[in-house]
Amino acid sequence: MQKDLETKFLLDFETNQNIAHKICRIYTTNRDAHNDLFQEITIQVWKNYPKFRGDSKFSTWMYRVALNTAISLYRKSTRTIKTQDFSDVAFKIKTTPYDDTEEIQLKALYGAIHKLNDIDKALIFLYLEDKPYKEISETLGITNVNARVKMNRAKEKLKNILNP
Amino acid sequence: MDLLDNYKKAWKNQPEEACKRSTVEIYKLAQSKSSSIVKWIFIIGILEFVILNSLHFFIDMDEAYAEYEKLGLINFIFYSQIVAYIILFYFLVMFYLNYKRISATDSTSNLMKKIIKTRKTVRNYVLFNLGYMVLVIIVATIASIQTNLEDLSNKKILFIVFATLIATLLILGILCLFYQLLYGFLLKKLNRNYKELAKLDSKD
Repeated sequence: MQKDLETKFLLDFETNQNIAHKICRIYTTNRDAHNDLFQEITIQVWKNYPKFRGDSKFSTWMYRVALNTAISLYRKSTRTIKTQDFSDVAFKIKTTPYDDTEEIQLKALYGAIHKLNDIDKALIFLYLEDKPYKEISETLGITNVNARVKMNRAKEKLKNILNP
Repeated sequence: MDLLDNYKKAWKNQPEEACKRSTVEIYKLAQSKSSSIVKWIFIIGILEFVILNSLHFFIDMDEAYAEYEKLGLINFIFYSQIVAYIILFYFLVMFYLNYKRISATDSTSNLMKKIIKTRKTVRNYVLFNLGYMVLVIIVATIASIQTNLEDLSNKKILFIVFATLIATLLILGILCLFYQLLYGFLLKKLNRNYKELAKLDSKD
């Protein structure tokens, strides 16, 4: 029974690990911290995996556990480094040749997100991942209306950083 | 087109993580020890209960009881300690139940609420203990003044009251400061994030 659960978890987590990596990239600014947070997310997802009923998609469930880990459970402050060296983000991402403009935009985007507070980071992340408001409000535990209000403010903050 | 739409496109097209973990690596990570704030809150909470309750090992209790006897306080100490142990038991149960309710699968705001609640249980226990300490000091001071009333001049009584007051305030001050530091250090990030999330619930 335990073995079955383990195999299922490993498969689910391996396929969806990019969710955790993206969250680590948003909430940390160097490789060590990235690995540290990634480890804690793995532990938390595994620890709570028996509670995953399968009535929602695994990825939806994982967004919640991973974000909760980054915002509330991860011990180290994620706001200690406020500015982000672009090269820091670059080395985390595969250097396959692709559209230059998008690469520059992506670096600027990560740099700007790093300047937001933890809650705004979560909101912007869920927006970029195209999550519906229902899911966003349920994940954060706020009302749908509040999620929209807060999202608009976070987007404004992000725009101001990207295009001062 | 909205400014963010362009960035969103770049986000969607971002390459996958370069160092993807294999299932073997994920297995090892999942088995490693958590260093989450909840674990720290649990360890430090238990330590506080243990330290507060082992304080009497450092005090010569026979001598203290003899002194209480002399002051006629032995019944007060006895019954108040029974009450104190019942209250300790209540706090321990509450602490454990609150701790057990913490789950990473909860919504962010619920999760933060539960972590803060667990921590508050221990804080309230410490406050209760400090309150009990102050009560014993006050009662003991009054009793010792009453016992020695004939031998004491008004000046001396005033001095005892004043000295006890200063000593109590000093001890309380140091303990509070230490506690604020510990509490602040543990929950700084969480409190900040919780305020950020709650801010909007009160505003709208």
